[in-house]
Amino acid sequence: MQKPDIVRAQEFDNVPCPFCGLLCDDLGISAAAGTVTVRANGCEKSRTLFAAHAQSTTTPSVDGKASTLDEAIARATAILRAAKRPLFLSAGTDVAGMRALIELAELTKGIVDHANREAMFRNLRVLQDTGWISTTLTEIRNRADLLVVAGTQVSNRFPRLFERCFGDFDTLFDTRPRELIFLGARADDLPLPLKSRSTSLAIEPLRIAELFGGLRALLRGRTLLTNEIAGVAIEKVMVLLERMRAAKYGVLTWAASEFDFAHSDLAVQAMCELVKELNAKNRFAVLPLGGSDGDLTAMQVTTWQTGFPVCVDFGRGVPSQAAPNYPPDILIERGEVDALVLVCAFDADRIATSPNIPSIVLGRAGPPPGHCNAYIPVSVPGLHHPGHLFRTDNVVAMRMRQLVAAAHPAANEVLQKILDALREAG
Amino acid sequence: MIRLAGARIYDPAHGIDGVIRDLFIEGGRIVAAPRPGTHIDEEYDLAGRIVMAGAIDLHTHIGGGKVNIARAMLPEDHRDSAFARTGITRSGSGVVAPSTFAAGYRYVEMGYTACFEPAMLPVNARQAHMEMGDTPIVDKGGYALLGNDDFLLRMMADGAEQKLINDYVAWTLHATHCIAIKVVNPGGISAFKFNARSLDIDEPHPHYRVSPRAIVTTLTRALHDLRVPHPLHVHSSNLGVPGNVASTLATIEAAEGLPIHLTHIQFHSYGTEGERKFSSAAASIAEAIDRHTNVSADVGQIMFGQTVTASGDTMAQYRNASHAHPAKWMCMDIECDAGCGIVPFRYRDSNFVNALQWAIGLELFLRVKDPWRVFLTTDHPNGAPFTSYPHLIRLLMDRNFRNEKLAQIHPEAAAHSQLAALQREYSLYEIAIMTRAAPARSVGLSDRGHLGAGAAADITVYRDIADRENMFSAPEYVFKDGELVARDGAIVKVTRGATHVVRPDFDHGIEKRLRDYFERYHTIGFDNFAIAADELDRFGSREILVHPCTRPAP
Repeated sequence: MQKPDIVRAQEFDNVPCPFCGLLCDDLGISAAAGTVTVRANGCEKSRTLFAAHAQSTTTPSVDGKASTLDEAIARATAILRAAKRPLFLSAGTDVAGMRALIELAELTKGIVDHANREAMFRNLRVLQDTGWISTTLTEIRNRADLLVVAGTQVSNRFPRLFERCFGDFDTLFDTRPRELIFLGARADDLPLPLKSRSTSLAIEPLRIAELFGGLRALLRGRTLLTNEIAGVAIEKVMVLLERMRAAKYGVLTWAASEFDFAHSDLAVQAMCELVKELNAKNRFAVLPLGGSDGDLTAMQVTTWQTGFPVCVDFGRGVPSQAAPNYPPDILIERGEVDALVLVCAFDADRIATSPNIPSIVLGRAGPPPGHCNAYIPVSVPGLHHPGHLFRTDNVVAMRMRQLVAAAHPAANEVLQKILDALREAG
Repeated sequence: MIRLAGARIYDPAHGIDGVIRDLFIEGGRIVAAPRPGTHIDEEYDLAGRIVMAGAIDLHTHIGGGKVNIARAMLPEDHRDSAFARTGITRSGSGVVAPSTFAAGYRYVEMGYTACFEPAMLPVNARQAHMEMGDTPIVDKGGYALLGNDDFLLRMMADGAEQKLINDYVAWTLHATHCIAIKVVNPGGISAFKFNARSLDIDEPHPHYRVSPRAIVTTLTRALHDLRVPHPLHVHSSNLGVPGNVASTLATIEAAEGLPIHLTHIQFHSYGTEGERKFSSAAASIAEAIDRHTNVSADVGQIMFGQTVTASGDTMAQYRNASHAHPAKWMCMDIECDAGCGIVPFRYRDSNFVNALQWAIGLELFLRVKDPWRVFLTTDHPNGAPFTSYPHLIRLLMDRNFRNEKLAQIHPEAAAHSQLAALQREYSLYEIAIMTRAAPARSVGLSDRGHLGAGAAADITVYRDIADRENMFSAPEYVFKDGELVARDGAIVKVTRGATHVVRPDFDHGIEKRLRDYFERYHTIGFDNFAIAADELDRFGSREILVHPCTRPAP
């Protein structure tokens, strides 16, 4: 007897997840009848964002009223044609989307930037000023015997970092005793075996630079006439330093996105300089965490196409590094840009608009966005269409997969249409 | 049909040395002279001009992770060199670390039509192909990096059969869409991760106990067995170390008579004579190359001025980091696979070591007798940016000019060098060999680097200017696949270049082993590692051109 027709779920294995900079590529996913479920190896963030708005039927709109795609593209083109200095901002798109966004900025003499620019500059300034010795996820997974985490939010922002890189699994090399030290607070969701091998020093992120300045002085054999550094008893600082010096392959990591205070690049620099100096005797490396919302993807493409990593201004025709101290909200507030194109393809909740500027939003379908003159829902790279993203370590470029049919065009396709329309207009 | 009429042709692949004749182009190819009366659509009167095939750079770091880090690190290289979009070209910037568009345009403006990125980390190959896809007009190809990857070293440590290693090498070429294999500081990049600071050619690796010599021998054999046209491309042990002539000569011996290519040999031709314990060993290296007909080399000439060194050799880059100018540098250990290091550097003619390096490179060019086995490179950007090639060509072709420059360098370096005694001046024919015919043959491009019927119409037309630097800086016409793409050193049309690859046969049984390995140890799955052919199309490659693996079997 034949069974009644049921919609069979499609099963996918080894799926890369586009929703944070780790790009974990071991997810098991079921897709059926418009519902996408992470069945294996996900995190809360991936479960939420793979499933979000699966049934969404949001249509394009012009000035808040539903429209066709062509009408919304025409409105966007008209806004850009009238603009003298538009701002093109990614809050999440893939390599192809960035390529189109950069060309649009070039064509319209605008600025191209990423919403995570502040956090990106915290690391970039150090790379451009003194540099670092860094490492990548597979090295940590197989080689690191010590992982030092600066800050308190690493496991919220990069949920599976410890599970995938520092857990109890076979490694290529001897990684014992595999210790984890938190400079801030211990992550509360640590896998059990790691919990027992982890310690923490309570320290405010604001005082990281001070702590690492002290560590550098002590490494050089200086005597410090103090009982504490950055609120940590000097004995504890000495123990930390000795542990770092004893590591066969130590790694220091942080998420610059949580270092939300003035001159936090100096904290990053102090960390990187200590790690460089440790290498005189032992191997030690840093892993600056990033890559979420396509930020490292934006940086990579912008760098190879223009020569500058982020926040590139084509106002004089030639690409130049715009002043890092003028973020998008200030440019908008001061009227220094006269149109905004925002691309936000991963997380509809990240769409942030301003009523003070003609706005074009290419966003993941979801709740109605705030003020915008042209709204175009776009599909999600890695869910609705293939695409490429860069991982947190800046080395692995991952191909994202299409899991379900796309109800909306990819950001790149929409941007190409706008480019074509602008080129036709001359 | 296009006729290029009356130019002097230099086509060493066919032994043509400055013969005046017409060339015909149809459908992007060079064709035989048509029957009389055939309609000619376009004719170029090239009386007095010099015609060569488009030039080929077989070793230039134009794309991939480390190049992009160098770009990001060096806003000072981009601020004053930025250029705007035009009706046909994109914007860009950079001299020593040019943006992708800048690199493509500058190469074509100089008459180059193909560039090979010599250090593609398999795990980073996807990025390198993205960047090469955004490098317009010129054809591209990559050399996949092996010899510091855990998988190979582990197999060697376990005494794996050569056949299994060959399968792995072939799989790597397929998965990364590369045309050759390079090894950088064999075993040394890996050893640095185990805290070794040097690894000499016969020293066992601190973990795997495998020697650099064994790595060179094994990989040389693999490429020979697989009949890959380009032999193992070797960045030898001890780069930049005084006295490294010994390990360079040992590397030649490690090939055991099989074909081997030694890259940027200038950085590996140093002795320890003299008060400063740094001297030229160019004579003995050149003599060894002359004697071993299985060896080819590119020079990696240095030029005075600012550049940036971008290398997979973390061990050497870390060692040289204190010389960084400006004072910033980075190194990176990568995925139990390889590494990279960026150290900006300024070569000074007033510095003894730099001045001698300059002289050593030129000595090598002038001493190696066979131009088919020594190629013109600066190891862009490590010795100098590729835009210095026209200057380098003049140094090789014009002895008076060379001696004038020699008189300006650190006097002790000049005194230590035997450069002044070398009379040789390269001919146009020899330049055509070392920049066209020889690299095409070496890499295995049967339809590039020459002007015979059937070849791709990649053609460069020069005015015959006595100042050869001037002549080679801005050819009058450059054709890519039969289309005029540059005129008088300016781009007139932008096209997409192709990607050259080889795909040797292999036993796919190795994939099961690799799958298990990836699943167990890596942070990227086997299924997500290999690059699919359609990805290259998305990145901007015009097409993938697969070259046969047909070197005669042993």
